[in-house]
Amino acid sequence: MSGTRRVLTAHWDDPGVIRLAGYESAGGYRALRTALGMTSDELIQIVKDSGLRGRGGAGFPTGMKWSFVPRDTGKPTYVTVNFDESEPGTCNNRELVEREPHALLEGTAIAAMAIGCHLAFIYIRGEYLWQGQILQRAIDEAYAAGYLGRGVLGGDYDLDIVLHRGAGAYICGEETALLSSLEGFRGQPRLRPPFPAVEGLYDSPTVINNVETLMNVPHIVNNGADWFKEVGTEKAPGTKMFTISGKVERPGNYELPMGTPMRVLLEEYAGGVLGGRAIKAWTPGGSSTPFLTDEHLDVGLDFEAIMEAGSLLGTGAIMVLDETDCMVEAARRLVEFYAHESCGKCTPCREGTWWASRVLGRIEGGYGREDDLPVMADMGRNILFRAFCALADGAVSPIQSTLTHFMDEYEAHIREGRCPATGRGPGAAGQTEPADVTFATTGPFEIQGAPS
Amino acid sequence: MSAPEPQVTLTVDGKEVTVPAGTLIIRAAEQVGVEVPRFCDHPLLEPVGACRQCYVEVEGQRKLFTSCTTAVADGMVVKTQNTSDVVHEAQVANLEFLLLNHPLDCPICDRGGECPLQDQALAFGPGESRYREAKRVYAKPLPLSPLVNLDRERCVLCARCTRFCDQVSGDRFIELFARGAAQQVAIAPGEDFRSPFSGNTVQICPVGALTSTPYRFAARPFDLSTVDTVCPHCSAGCNIKLDMRRGEVVRHLARDNYDVNDAWLCDKGRYAFRFPDAPDRIAMPLIRDHGLEPASFGEVVTRVAGWTEGARVAILTGGRLMDEDYYALSKLARTVFRTNDLDHRRTGDPGAADSERHAASDPMAVTYGDVEGASVVLVVGLDAEQEVPILHLRLRKAARRGARIWVLHPRRTRLHDVATHVLCRPGDEGRLLAGGADGVLDEALTALREAGPGAVVLAGERHGAADAAKRVADATGARFQYVTRRANDRGALLAGVHPALLPGGRGLDEVDDVERVWGPLMNREPGRDTMGILRACAAREVDVLFLVGVDPLRDVPDAALVRRALDNVPVKVVQSLELGSLEPFADAFLPASAFLEKDGHVSTWEGRGQRLRAIRGRDGISLADWEIFASMALACGGDLGFETLDAIHEEMGRLLGARSERGVAVEPPGEAGNAAEEPSGSVQGLAPQPDWERERGAEGATAEVGRSPGSIGDSRDAGDGGGGDDLVLFTYPLLVDEGRLSEGADELKAALGDEAFVELHPSDAGSLGLADGARATVRTDAGLAELPVRVTEHVAAGAAFVPFNQPDLAANTLFSGAMVTRARIEPVEEAVEGSGEPAVAAAGGES
Amino acid sequence: MAIFEGERLDEARSIIARYPEGRQRSAVMPLLYLAQSEEGWVTRDALREIGELIGVRTAEVEAVATFYTMLRARPTGTHLIAVCTNLSCALRGANDVLLAAHEATGIAPGEDLSDDGVFSVHEEECLGVCEFAPVVQVDVANHDRVTPERMREIVASLRAGDVPEPARGPAVESFRAASRILAGLEPLADEVATT
Repeated sequence: MSGTRRVLTAHWDDPGVIRLAGYESAGGYRALRTALGMTSDELIQIVKDSGLRGRGGAGFPTGMKWSFVPRDTGKPTYVTVNFDESEPGTCNNRELVEREPHALLEGTAIAAMAIGCHLAFIYIRGEYLWQGQILQRAIDEAYAAGYLGRGVLGGDYDLDIVLHRGAGAYICGEETALLSSLEGFRGQPRLRPPFPAVEGLYDSPTVINNVETLMNVPHIVNNGADWFKEVGTEKAPGTKMFTISGKVERPGNYELPMGTPMRVLLEEYAGGVLGGRAIKAWTPGGSSTPFLTDEHLDVGLDFEAIMEAGSLLGTGAIMVLDETDCMVEAARRLVEFYAHESCGKCTPCREGTWWASRVLGRIEGGYGREDDLPVMADMGRNILFRAFCALADGAVSPIQSTLTHFMDEYEAHIREGRCPATGRGPGAAGQTEPADVTFATTGPFEIQGAPS
Repeated sequence: MSAPEPQVTLTVDGKEVTVPAGTLIIRAAEQVGVEVPRFCDHPLLEPVGACRQCYVEVEGQRKLFTSCTTAVADGMVVKTQNTSDVVHEAQVANLEFLLLNHPLDCPICDRGGECPLQDQALAFGPGESRYREAKRVYAKPLPLSPLVNLDRERCVLCARCTRFCDQVSGDRFIELFARGAAQQVAIAPGEDFRSPFSGNTVQICPVGALTSTPYRFAARPFDLSTVDTVCPHCSAGCNIKLDMRRGEVVRHLARDNYDVNDAWLCDKGRYAFRFPDAPDRIAMPLIRDHGLEPASFGEVVTRVAGWTEGARVAILTGGRLMDEDYYALSKLARTVFRTNDLDHRRTGDPGAADSERHAASDPMAVTYGDVEGASVVLVVGLDAEQEVPILHLRLRKAARRGARIWVLHPRRTRLHDVATHVLCRPGDEGRLLAGGADGVLDEALTALREAGPGAVVLAGERHGAADAAKRVADATGARFQYVTRRANDRGALLAGVHPALLPGGRGLDEVDDVERVWGPLMNREPGRDTMGILRACAAREVDVLFLVGVDPLRDVPDAALVRRALDNVPVKVVQSLELGSLEPFADAFLPASAFLEKDGHVSTWEGRGQRLRAIRGRDGISLADWEIFASMALACGGDLGFETLDAIHEEMGRLLGARSERGVAVEPPGEAGNAAEEPSGSVQGLAPQPDWERERGAEGATAEVGRSPGSIGDSRDAGDGGGGDDLVLFTYPLLVDEGRLSEGADELKAALGDEAFVELHPSDAGSLGLADGARATVRTDAGLAELPVRVTEHVAAGAAFVPFNQPDLAANTLFSGAMVTRARIEPVEEAVEGSGEPAVAAAGGES
Repeated sequence: MAIFEGERLDEARSIIARYPEGRQRSAVMPLLYLAQSEEGWVTRDALREIGELIGVRTAEVEAVATFYTMLRARPTGTHLIAVCTNLSCALRGANDVLLAAHEATGIAPGEDLSDDGVFSVHEEECLGVCEFAPVVQVDVANHDRVTPERMREIVASLRAGDVPEPARGPAVESFRAASRILAGLEPLADEVATT
């Protein structure tokens, strides 16, 4: 089980696959025809056998997810595509759709057949303006060619796909929040149970899959489960899209087998650290995953190995920081993100991320106090696994991992009132006053004056 | 009906408890006396898991669980803050988060002293904050309405208020806006929190974020003496806590009773609490010699007794005395005055005769619980939100649980989002219920038949509708209930304060039981109803008229007739809390005690008897109504045969106790003052009093019914070329109006009150040339009013609605003995000559 | 004057028709986009009218509108400049780009609307184009690897009435035009070059 190959990116050199004709001549929609001849159970089984796991972050086995959908409730079933790709550092779904939109439609259609769904939604984040247009054009083309609509490919199976645009809310990537949003409510997560597979969209059984996950499905149908397992690891077969950004020479999206060591991605694909500097820290799976350091470069990029190293594979979004970067700033910026994106529903997330972002801003600005660090550590403990959903846990990752790996940097900030890496002190980065923490708010409240 | 729920057994802090599967841990813990701290949890709202205060540890699980969202499982071992350090620390930490931005203004917060957040902070919160950053600051308070104020700084964002508006009242005026740390409760700018249930959000707020204007800075919890009682306003019978400060009522709060009001109270019940202390209360007997002058009770009673000797006596009362008062009055009329000319109704309705008899003889035929559990409900002639608001909430709850609801009414009600409405012109109900009008109700009737006893038919007081509805219930096997509006109309019916009914719904042709207790009844001819009595008074066929807790000038829909009656009847005896508009007419005044001051029972619309107890001393030298009746009987040479409540109860038990199939309205002999709890949902507390009668009185005229919707051909100035045919004009009182019991409730009126208006369907408005907001003259054979027009599809075509008792219109000047008539409605001409200018009808009530 | 009348009302109905019967509430976000494309931001009238269209109270619509950052519940410039300052972009100099955006548009830090109403500047969270950091969206169209100099050029060209060519996809004329695309009412013209 090793080797490499390009599956999802196989046609990236062919600009024609953005349109239906190009996609068809590259073998597109062959899997859809095959799937039409298969039963729902056969489709679920082949995906189960392939070992495909969700690419959105949690890594849940896709075939098993499909099999949870009850078929005898008398209600419709829905497939909802989670294209709300918003995890900082993550952008492979965007490029996958930009280049080959029909592959997503084909995967979505096969998923729909597997669970007997006749209406699927694609929830795309609002910021993907053009990508939405591309996808809508592909949908229109697919209808015109008979891949969608009444009587798919002349048979008796009907399928509609509706594109629904988000409007700027990271939390809508959480699947129950996504459903709330799609139903026209505030994008706040809901209690589970009931799980979406049983009571999801419009209280009906619903499967929610990530874009990259679904794009793998046509290839599994075309080539079989065993083929899929030829690359990757035993527990995490297949290839995975990795996004690498930050301080590297060639940032970008790369398709690599699961388990590829970080060093290979960094050096062979991304061209090494920018300017030949030394790597200081990196996230393996986006902002929600704890920072790793240069000690972890030989860890394989798969769910299990990364977890063993103390982090999470998440979305496979690697952000690289070099020796000149300030870890307090990095933590502050990421925690600020979570404060900004907290939906507000539950206490630890709403209050905890707000508090942490302000304390971090104060330390970064050179106004830290000795007792801030134990308070920060407490905050992390008191937020982690205590909030309604996993968003707040994401905020804990940068807090705890920087405290773990870069405590000396915090201490230096507090002791010297400036950053040992960048040399910036009070007045830098917009920090002019102790209370003047840049903290974007969406609502009409004022911030009281400086604290003592 | 359903199979028994499977039970699961778990332990909470080592205590074993067995509960139905699906129970939440927090509820199971309560059953063994373990209280897990919580803010967002409320047993009548769906779990949300927002505040995160109620963490518990479940053995074998890595993470803590919120006990308000986690269902029990068999064999589960739960540890709360009492037995788990981890849980305790997590709760302390969460409290720290909640307090970060909370202002330190407990000393000036209305919630101080009864605040869950304050209690918990005191019990285990950190003494000093570790938060060194700036706090969130909001303008405060933000008025959401004249009744409710929002202080966003104090809010813990538990979403109880917004969930109440979503899940219970359906009045989604307030919502959570924005997100993250900026998330806040808010209202759409320019809107008011115009929900008649808004006060519930104040009560369930776990902090001082929502406060009410009437209670703002009024008292501290340690200043208050709190008593349990029942709301005096309508037949919902909500259980309340009444808070007094130095003897003055400062607050009503809902008291939990899941058999009656759940945990809710409407805004009228909550905020109209000042009437017992109205300034025009008279607490001494008066007699008219030259003018009205104080006299002793004995003297007045003796004088009145003298007037009644050999006289033709008639009695009018209202719907707000207690069961015992009504029983005594019924017996006084029949055994002493030998008259059946007595009535409590505003609008007697021949189309409700069967329904009334059913209500009087079959208490608890339909209960709140039956409504909640019904699979199909047909509501006929009832605007539940305005008339019995808590029944409205129970209907919404039923809908939420899957009930299919139809409403047959001339106006669309606030059930519109959960029920199918069939709008019909007043008077057409019977035809529609019999399958007329192309069977617009066929689906409902089929559903009723299929559901059988799982179906409920509720009929309100709209003219002619009740018996038609009852026939449908009888034919389909649905349960039926006649829903009377005022606090104890039901008790009056039960006691036979009615020209054709004796206690227990017995007719005058089935007197055996009654004679066994009361002795021979000399008069077995049905008496006159309210309108009949008033007409007889006007025709000088009555010598002495008793007006007990009623103000017909205000309450009876024929103001002109009432005035003639009062002018022509030689002797008027008023028994009430005050004289009000009857002052020029009264020959004698007998002061009655207020509901705060006496013991007794009132009956809900279901017929559920609820016990009230005196909670403050009697004012002046007033007496309970039944006591006055008893002494009147003695002065007349008769004897009602009881001098104590116990004795009344014993007698009532003999006539009423055994007749109910499903419950007992009034228990047989109980112990005097602290008589035990009533069957279900009973209360200790006190009872309503005559005075409130003033809110609206009795009426009801058999003959009048036909007359009023009849001709309007004699209308004055028929010559104006107004547009079109007559419309059916109907009226009923809105929840918030100029009723006597709403005196002093200025904030309530500002928040929910309305100026008078006339409501027209667009098709009628169009043919009449009237636009929304225009002014129109409304002309009936009784009178004339100039009113702003509301054009809305929420009223049936061919019908027009005016509210009964608004500050700028006493609508009884427009009606002739029924709450429905015919009217000609025309645009107001801009430049009319002075003489032709329509006089706006007199404002309601002098108070 | 109502926002949703005539052609706009037809469009609103077509948006509602995307969703299953009885699920018209799902249309609230595209309807808000449509209103935003008409008015430049989400006005009170829009909230009320949308509530009426889908049968919910104004507060329910506002609750939704204030939750999402791309629905602007306050006056917004003709052009909305969104500068990502999240980590990948910050590492590549986004903070300076943001400062340049403020300077060039004359919008003070902390404010987001220029006095002449032409520009709004918004500090963005991750825009999902991390490989081309630092990233800016002008009227929701992407500009890659933006330097402070490039930021100033973009502002100058917008001020001159020229819409700068985005890194991918067709040019978008204004924030209102972007909102119309977001409402799903502007299909991609076929002749437009891809990638």
